[in-house]
Order: sequence, then structure tokens, then C-alpha cells
Amino acid sequence: MKMKKTDIGVVVFMYAICAFFYVHMLQLQANSQTYPRFTIVLLFGLTTLYLLQMLMNAKKHGVESGVDKVFDGFQIVQFFVCLAMVIVYLLLMKFLGFFVATIVFMLAALTFLGVPKVHTLIAVVAINLLVYFAFVQFLGVKLPAGLLF
Amino acid sequence: MFETLQLMAAGFANALLPMNLLMMIFGVTLGIIIGCLPGLSAAMGVALMLPLTFTMEPETGLIVLGAIYCGAIFGGSISAILIHTPGTPASAATAIEGYQMTLQGKAGKALATACWSSFWGGLLSCISLYFFAPLLAQLALKFMSAEYFWLSLFGLTVIAGVASKSLIKGLMSGALGLLISTIGLDPITGTQRFMFGHAFLAEGVNVTCALIGLFSMSQVFILAEKKIVERAKAAKFTDKIALTKEERKMIRPTIIRSWLIGNIVGILPGAGASIACFMGYNNAKSFSKNKEQFGKGAIEGVAGSEAANNAVTGGSLIPTLTLGIPGESVTAVLMGGLIIQGLQPGPELFTTHAGMTYTFFAGFVLVQFAMLAIGMLGCRAFAQISRLSDAILIPCVTVLCVVGSYAIHRNFNDVIVMFIFGLLGYAMRKFDLNTAAVVLALILGPIGEKGLRNALRASQGDLSVLVGSPVCLVLIALCIVGIFSPLLMNMFEKKVSGTTLADAEAEAEA
Repeated sequence: MKMKKTDIGVVVFMYAICAFFYVHMLQLQANSQTYPRFTIVLLFGLTTLYLLQMLMNAKKHGVESGVDKVFDGFQIVQFFVCLAMVIVYLLLMKFLGFFVATIVFMLAALTFLGVPKVHTLIAVVAINLLVYFAFVQFLGVKLPAGLLF
Repeated sequence: MFETLQLMAAGFANALLPMNLLMMIFGVTLGIIIGCLPGLSAAMGVALMLPLTFTMEPETGLIVLGAIYCGAIFGGSISAILIHTPGTPASAATAIEGYQMTLQGKAGKALATACWSSFWGGLLSCISLYFFAPLLAQLALKFMSAEYFWLSLFGLTVIAGVASKSLIKGLMSGALGLLISTIGLDPITGTQRFMFGHAFLAEGVNVTCALIGLFSMSQVFILAEKKIVERAKAAKFTDKIALTKEERKMIRPTIIRSWLIGNIVGILPGAGASIACFMGYNNAKSFSKNKEQFGKGAIEGVAGSEAANNAVTGGSLIPTLTLGIPGESVTAVLMGGLIIQGLQPGPELFTTHAGMTYTFFAGFVLVQFAMLAIGMLGCRAFAQISRLSDAILIPCVTVLCVVGSYAIHRNFNDVIVMFIFGLLGYAMRKFDLNTAAVVLALILGPIGEKGLRNALRASQGDLSVLVGSPVCLVLIALCIVGIFSPLLMNMFEKKVSGTTLADAEAEAEA
């Protein structure tokens, strides 16, 4: 099996996590360091083992990009717009409250994704009713009311 | 013996309470809908519905989750048969023969076979649940601190090994989960660890938020990156959703063999329904008198696959409930549900909480009947739902993830945690890391840590305590077996069905 260049990112990420937790672990009391140290060493060791395996694969079978497999059919605009919408939705919830933010988010997302208007309306009404009856009525959850209302 | 029978009877009496029956029907229906939607998985459905069960009685909550689990595994067959797209990986083998039957105008028969076989597979798997679970729980009584440490490591090695394409990547995922599980107050000294001034992290990362993020929110991102395509129209069928007496007789031996296969696969930690369905299918083909029918719409092929994948459900609950080792991602989520209710897997479930456990078992039996009835009656309606576009699913699932994580503590921080785990889960899935191993590590990490530190404290730091008992040695051996379990599973698959999963999948693709 060829070494995938994309796996370099995985290794870097894992080493970064180890380094981040290690630095913060040093600030702990000595007797609280034992178990976190064990998990950091474990992750560091396994990542190094994977790095060695990658290097062996590169030597034996060569190197391939791997990007084409990881991002096969990736819709870049659609993905990032959806991601941005989710972030804005979470921010809006604090100001507009759960139900208003949900209606705005769902209308925007469904319209952006090309869902016909009738289906959009049905989905918005159905989800809001479901949340209201299941969470507010049944579970008694007080959902965020928002700063503006 | 008499006491057990009494508990079983009381369990059925409790499970038959109107509230439990109602929740059973709700769970099965929801599970089938989730299962028949190709964008959603059983684990995701169970994770998404976890917060709804918080205020329920523990047994009712578990019955709902069990019903969603069983319903989703069966539901996958509906889209597999009618639109040649398995709703869940567990129905991949069903699509081979099921869709051929649909093309021949026998969709009703294929659906009836799937329903009937799923029912028997699930029902028979309850036998092993009733018999083996209490026995295995007895074994857990012998466990002390050191044993719990090794047990948690065993659970991780197995799930990391089997459920990942790369063994080391699977183990890395588990180690990452263990590291994340150290966030929060030190369980022994009470010192703040990696909390960065956030008081809400005192109890550690909320497992339910992590579950929803890793399984459900990450799926939203997976759906969002793909081109939205209109799903194939579900084939219209006019034949009755029923089987003749002869057909039922014909598939009977296949169902029994697939039940055994599915049950063993389910009990083995790390192996799941997606493996069992191919093994059941291949076994049905090997023993069939009509081998030439396979690939052209063999009824036994559908029965073999569906009985096996549903037989996994009961089997996989055994290691989950008794040892706290979930075999796959769905049972890891179910175990999360159990822990959230304040219950720990192990012998206490069969002593202190025996009433609750046997009610759940009885509920699990009744869920199979509900699945048969709802499946047979509602197939045509579910077939229409299976066409629901990913464009609708993306915002709907997002809203449910947000409200579900918020409902846990009525705290917006949990939503943020869920979102971060959603991004982490997405990245992990893209780079072939194992999200189930992270979840399991979050659940098992604190148990393992407590075990390790208590053992070392009791022995005043003497490490030999970790290898001091025969049970420890057995568990260490099992950890080693767990690491090599992918190789062992391949050998097991080959022995049982004459081919490996990879071969069968390649054959199915061809």
C-alpha cells in the first residue's frame, strides 16, 4: 500500500495534540500527572509507529497524494456555506432565541440546497412542531429565548 | 432458577405496560425511518434520540433505544430492496438479491422475507441474551481494580482493531479518546485537569454531546460535502407483502444458520451487523439447493442476510451489558444511554437492577413483534420516506443535534462541545480514523483510570499488581488477541462462509 500524503496531516495533528496536552500537563500537581502522561505517551507512541509504517510504505510502494480519495466529489461551496450557516445559526440562537433562529436557519439552508418551497415549508413546520412537543412539552426543556425577545 | 423465571415474568409484565408499548412502537417506527434513509445510520439515530430518554424510566428509555436499534437494522433493507441503496451498511448484502427480486416484480415478497427473517433473527438472538448475559455477569464479579483497567483496554483494542481500516489508526483513535477523557477533575485528587478555566468541563467532556457530535453532526458535514442528487424512485409494487407456507418452510434452515452466525458475530466484541449480513448471505448461498438462483433474486439470500444482521442485536448486548464492552458503535451509544441513567454495566445489572434489566430484555423481545407488525404493515409508506433528499436531512438533523445536546443540561456550552466533536468526527471519518473508538475511550477511560490508580494506590505503586491475578493475565491475553482480531475475524469469516467480507463486498459490487 502506498503512503498517502494526506496522512502526514493526521500525524502532525496527533503530535500537535500530544504537545498541547503535554505542556498543560506539566502545570498539574505531580500525582495528577500520572494518568494523563500515560495517555500522552500512548498516543505519541502509536503516532510514531504509524509514521514509521508510512515511511516503510513510502520506501516499498511509493507515495501518492491521497487528496483525490479524501475529497472525491467534494462540493467546496456547498460544504462551506452549510458550515457557515450552522455557525451563524448557533450565534443567532443567543440573540433571536431557539425557534426564530431555527426557522431562519432552516429556510436559508433549505432554499440554498434547492429544496422546493412546499417541501421547505413542510420541513420547517414539522421540525419546529416536533421540537416543541418532544422537548418543550414532553421533556420540559426551556429552550433559549434569546436576548431580543 | 425459579428466581430467574420470576424476574423474567415480572419483566414481561412491566414491558407490557401501556407506556412501554407506546414507546416501543415509537422507537421501532423511528428506527425503521432512520434505517431506510440511506444518509442516516443506526448509531446516529440512537445518539440523536438519547436526550429524549433522560426523563423516562431507565427501562423505558432503554426499550426506546433498543427499538430504534432493531428498527434501523431492519429499515436498511427497505431501501436496499426497493432502490438498490442499503439504508445502513448492515443491509448491503440484502441489496444483492432483494433488488433483483424487485426487478422481477417480487418486491412485496422480498420485503416480507426481510421482515420475517429480521423478526426471527432478532427474536432468536434474545435466547442467548437471556442465557449468556447473567452467566457472563457472574464472571465480572471476580473483577477488582486492576481487572477493570485491563478490561477497558481490551474493549478499546478490539473496537479499534476491527472497526478500522488501519489497526494503528484505530488504536490512535482510542488513545486520542483516552486523552480527551482526562479532561475534567482528577477522580482521586480533585485537581483541575485541562479545563482551561471552564467550570462546565469539571465532570469531563459530556459523553452524550460527544456521541451526538461524532455520529450525528459529523454525518451532516458528510452529507453537506456531497452533491445533492435526487434519489432513485422506489419501485412501485403490486404484489402482496406476504410469504406462502412453502416459502417460510424453505427459508427456515437459512434463518436458523444465520441466527447462529449473527449471534456469534454479535457476541464477539468488535464485529457488527455489516459483517454478519455478508456472512449470513454467503452461508445461505453455500447451503442452498438453488445456488443458480443467487444473483438473480434468491429469496434465501435475503433471508440469510437479514436474519444474520438482526441476530447481531441481541448478541451484541451481551458484552455491552455484562462487561461494558460494546461490540460496535450502536451498542457504544446504547451503553452511553445506560450510564447516563446512572447504571453501570456489570453484575449489578443482574442483582440490584435485575428488575430493570429483565424488563429491558422482555421489551427487546416484544420489540421484535412490533418490528414484524410495523414492518409488514408500513413497508409501502417507509418506501416513500426512503426517498427523502439529503438536502432536507442536512438542516433537520442539524436542528435535532443542537436541541438534543442543549437539552442535556439546558446549557449552550454543550452545544458548542457537540459542534466541536462534529467537526472532529468529520475530520476523523475523512482520514479513516475511528470515531467509535473515541466514544468507547470516553466511556471506558474513566473506568480504566480509576482501576489503574486504585490498584496502584492499594499496592503502593507496585506495578506487579497489574499482572497479579489469573483474570488479569486472561485479560492481557485478550488484549493481545484484540489487537490481532482483524486477522482472526478474516479467518473466522472464511471458515464460516468460505469467503472474507472483503471478497464478498467485492463480489457484491461486481
